[in-house]
Amino acid sequence: MKREAAIVGVGATPYYFRGTSHPQTIYELIDKAILAGLADAGLGIKAVDGMTFFAGGYEAGLICEHLGIDGLTFAHVVSGFGSGMAGIFDLAAMAIETGRAETVLCIGAMQQPAHKRTGQALNMLASTTEGIFHTIAGLSGPGQALALQTRRHMHRYGTRREAFGEVVLASRAAAANRETALRRKPLTMEEYLASPMLADPLCRLDFCLETDGALVFVVTSAERARDLRQKPVYIEAAAQVGKRDWGRAFFWLNQSEDAFTTAGAGPVAEHLYGKAGLTPKDIDVALIYDHFSPLVVMQLEDYGFCARGEGGPFVESGAIRLNGTIPVNPHGGHLSEGYVVGMTHVREAVEQLRGTAVNQVRGAQRALVTGGPAPMPMTAAILRN
Amino acid sequence: MPDRSITPDYSALEIPMDAWSEPFWAAGAEGRLIMPRCGDCGTFRWPAGPFCASCQSQAVEWVAPGQGRIYSFTVLPVPMGELVEPGHRVPALVAFDDAPGVRLVSALVDAPLDEVAIDAPVEVRWLPAANTAVPVFRLSHP
Repeated sequence: MKREAAIVGVGATPYYFRGTSHPQTIYELIDKAILAGLADAGLGIKAVDGMTFFAGGYEAGLICEHLGIDGLTFAHVVSGFGSGMAGIFDLAAMAIETGRAETVLCIGAMQQPAHKRTGQALNMLASTTEGIFHTIAGLSGPGQALALQTRRHMHRYGTRREAFGEVVLASRAAAANRETALRRKPLTMEEYLASPMLADPLCRLDFCLETDGALVFVVTSAERARDLRQKPVYIEAAAQVGKRDWGRAFFWLNQSEDAFTTAGAGPVAEHLYGKAGLTPKDIDVALIYDHFSPLVVMQLEDYGFCARGEGGPFVESGAIRLNGTIPVNPHGGHLSEGYVVGMTHVREAVEQLRGTAVNQVRGAQRALVTGGPAPMPMTAAILRN
Repeated sequence: MPDRSITPDYSALEIPMDAWSEPFWAAGAEGRLIMPRCGDCGTFRWPAGPFCASCQSQAVEWVAPGQGRIYSFTVLPVPMGELVEPGHRVPALVAFDDAPGVRLVSALVDAPLDEVAIDAPVEVRWLPAANTAVPVFRLSHP
């Protein structure tokens, strides 16, 4: 039987509204999250022999210099941006299963200067022969490009803005009692519908927060996890799948109608469930990458929680609330808690499976964690207690 | 607030091009829209690139893609200051009757906002850029 990997420690900095974590550097944030994660696990710095990253990663060597980590036998980066987030747990599991490393830190962080924003990320495309058309069109951020997909989904399936509003309202309701959440004020549908349009049909409230912070997850073997202080959370399955038609996410725009009206996660969902031998019915709580609310509706379809095209009515039925058929983002998600490129979702998954979540899903045994649509690979993981 | 989409000023925009995209821009400078199609199997490819994704041939022929129709679009508020007065910019993704499988994204200009709709027919116009001309869309009127 293969060695199984488990998350045994979680470390996080406070979540700061974008650009407000200075004068700490991003490496200082990461270092602090590492120390907190190791303390949570009850492990010392000398135990560390692996690191995994995504979205370009960070300098493992600099982190080792700072913290006095002797060295690593495993240091790898998943390609993609937020799409690769859950893939860092796939890499960590690979390291543990193959014996390449014994204690792996899965690291994700984000920090913005005050004058420059992730939301304008597509501007860098202006210098490429493929990307210049986004510039000419005026698509300067991912939410603006996603608006094209969203409108087509509404046109094809009759999805209503109220569905996106319900995603935002559910997230805000969940965040209300969560200390770490940056947006906690309750919201009504009237307020949602009156929010100014930023990229019609997306209004301001459909866009997630941008947050500074760092999170680190300590992964080791299940065997070793049994002797540590926290209830282990096992990496039951993790998958990384890139498909050509969504390989550049919002940048290609030539997908078939069937693929265009999705979040592009169908192939990774199929692979993940197949690898785990599970179905959507086995998932007790879903941590869905929600940088824009329509992507929750579309991912619920991609991950099989409802039929294709029925994400809108499914959400509007109350299905994603804490007492619904599939509770989604009981921590408030990127829309209301904070956005550290998906990492906060994994923290919530671990808290749910330890049974210590603020909005606990009773008896939760399995959590789905998804990466967001961005350049390939798309990644997702199922965690289990 | 004006109820027609704005017409952006591209006169300072430098268009990057390579050997595979240059014919698109050269035709555009003459006011013609052409799209690349595989010279062997006839599959359209976009953006212009070195290979046919269906048969890996490098042969390419450039053809007029036919009538354009809005496949999807968004409406972006343009804040005061960037223009004389605030307005709306409309990025539109357009499919073409004679170029299956590819779509062109650009700005839909001078369009009454309440007439912008999926499936609406559009025409391509070319506006001056720093080193060539860029395609934008206008609603076709019968």
